Amino acid sequence: MTATAHPEEIGVEVTNVTKSFGGDEARVTVLNGVTLSIRKGEFVSLIGPSGCGKSTLLKVVAGLSEANGGTVSINGKSVREAARDKAIGLVPQSPALLPWRTILDNVSLPISINPRGNTGRRLRDPRELLQSFGLGHALDRYPAQLSGGMQQRAAIARAFVFDPEILLMDEPFSALDEMNRDQQRMGLLDFWQSNRKSVLFVTHSVPEAIMLSDRIVLMASHPGRIAEIIDVDLPRPRNEALYATDAFRDLEFYVRSALRKVMEAARV
Amino acid sequence: MSDSIATAPRRNSSAFTMTRIIWNWGPPTLTFVIVAVLWQLVAINNPYVLPTLDAVGASLASDPGMYWANLLVTCQEIVVGAGAGIICGFLLAVAMSELPIVEKAVMPLIVVIMVTPVVAIAPALVVAFGFGMLPKYIVTGLVVFFPMLVNSLAGLRDVDQKALDVFKTLHASRWEIFRDLRLPGCMPFVFAGLRIAMPLAVVGAAVAEFVAAGQQAGLGSLVTIAAAQANLPVTWASIALLCLLGVLLVSLLALLRKRILWWSDEDVVGR
Repeated sequence: MTATAHPEEIGVEVTNVTKSFGGDEARVTVLNGVTLSIRKGEFVSLIGPSGCGKSTLLKVVAGLSEANGGTVSINGKSVREAARDKAIGLVPQSPALLPWRTILDNVSLPISINPRGNTGRRLRDPRELLQSFGLGHALDRYPAQLSGGMQQRAAIARAFVFDPEILLMDEPFSALDEMNRDQQRMGLLDFWQSNRKSVLFVTHSVPEAIMLSDRIVLMASHPGRIAEIIDVDLPRPRNEALYATDAFRDLEFYVRSALRKVMEAARV
Repeated sequence: MSDSIATAPRRNSSAFTMTRIIWNWGPPTLTFVIVAVLWQLVAINNPYVLPTLDAVGASLASDPGMYWANLLVTCQEIVVGAGAGIICGFLLAVAMSELPIVEKAVMPLIVVIMVTPVVAIAPALVVAFGFGMLPKYIVTGLVVFFPMLVNSLAGLRDVDQKALDVFKTLHASRWEIFRDLRLPGCMPFVFAGLRIAMPLAVVGAAVAEFVAAGQQAGLGSLVTIAAAQANLPVTWASIALLCLLGVLLVSLLALLRKRILWWSDEDVVGR
């Protein structure tokens, strides 16, 4: 299915990546021959049971964890070169904002870090960016004064501000309650649809994956591998109304059954 | 006390505020009054055990210049000695957290020094460095050095992993990670260390003066000399001043913490 992408459009290319932990005796293979490509401006979700290595894959692409085998390239560069050029925007599971900095200073931080990597980037004005994330009133507030949802929005703005080539998001909404989560999810969708970037998005939520993604990568565990790649052929721009369509429900049913199959196979 | 500030505007009745004030200040005041009364009872009946409080007060009032001069000497020991100890402890913690080899090389020596009782080192230092201020600086510095080192090191290591991941994907330099993440992040621990170090600094200065008593001024010397002469009012007046100095240092620190560490309500003491 990945063959449909034109080579010149490819942003991230993960080829035969293998990763294992532990010593010789208790060696656990977390990723086994994972191959995946993400086109420029494409939104790809990773979904799968816990222990399937989806967060590990994200860490490998982010350069936070070294693969034992295989290669990762980001716009033709190695992960290390990509980090040096500030091509990678990370949104961790928790907002991880610095409590001693205001929201504005937190979002401005990536611009001041590694300034050499700014060359050739269309840096965004942090104020404007925060405005469009609905945080214009909170510029001078401190993280502790904001709700969890607003903090996570600021963390996403922090990843967009330096115009990276790929955004890596590790279950960014998992700590929020369901209503808040949906609100943040739609906020991200709106912003992304008018600012297309390659995104690799780890999630536990099937509706979230469908609503946001162009493709859903379903992973299986023991060892962590790609079980199936599911195209999400739903029209864009999308909005809440999509939840109520038959196409959405059919796809949700399909993804859930595929997920169940993967989990049952693991149990045997 | 901050509770009363936060809740007082809720209701404007002065009776309510009065109740709050009595509730906050009443119990500790009562404790002090009881202790003072007991003290006076013992002192009046046993004049060779404790001086009466009014005798202590009279001693302070009769020669304030003498007490002031001695207080200043002790303060100087604390400022210079503890100041140097705090700075050295923090800098060594930075070196250890950035270069593991430094910790490996130096930690055993530091543990050996720290398990050696300061009270035992002090006379040896006096022999080595004479009766001047230097051995007093060293003893005071030594006492605060260890809590500062240990707490700062814990703080520098207690970095938010997720934030560190963000820094790493930006290819932040070690200096950038230190300046923008580790250094501000370790401040709650540094203040926890200071809160342990401040009372210890007073102990260190007093102990150093005990050993070299009679040669140089200082409240600790004053205690030893006066006690040797069985001059109880002077002894206890000096002790009271030492105690006051400790309270002052701790209060000052709490004030400073509020100014600098407003973003952290988490108190890491005892962690």
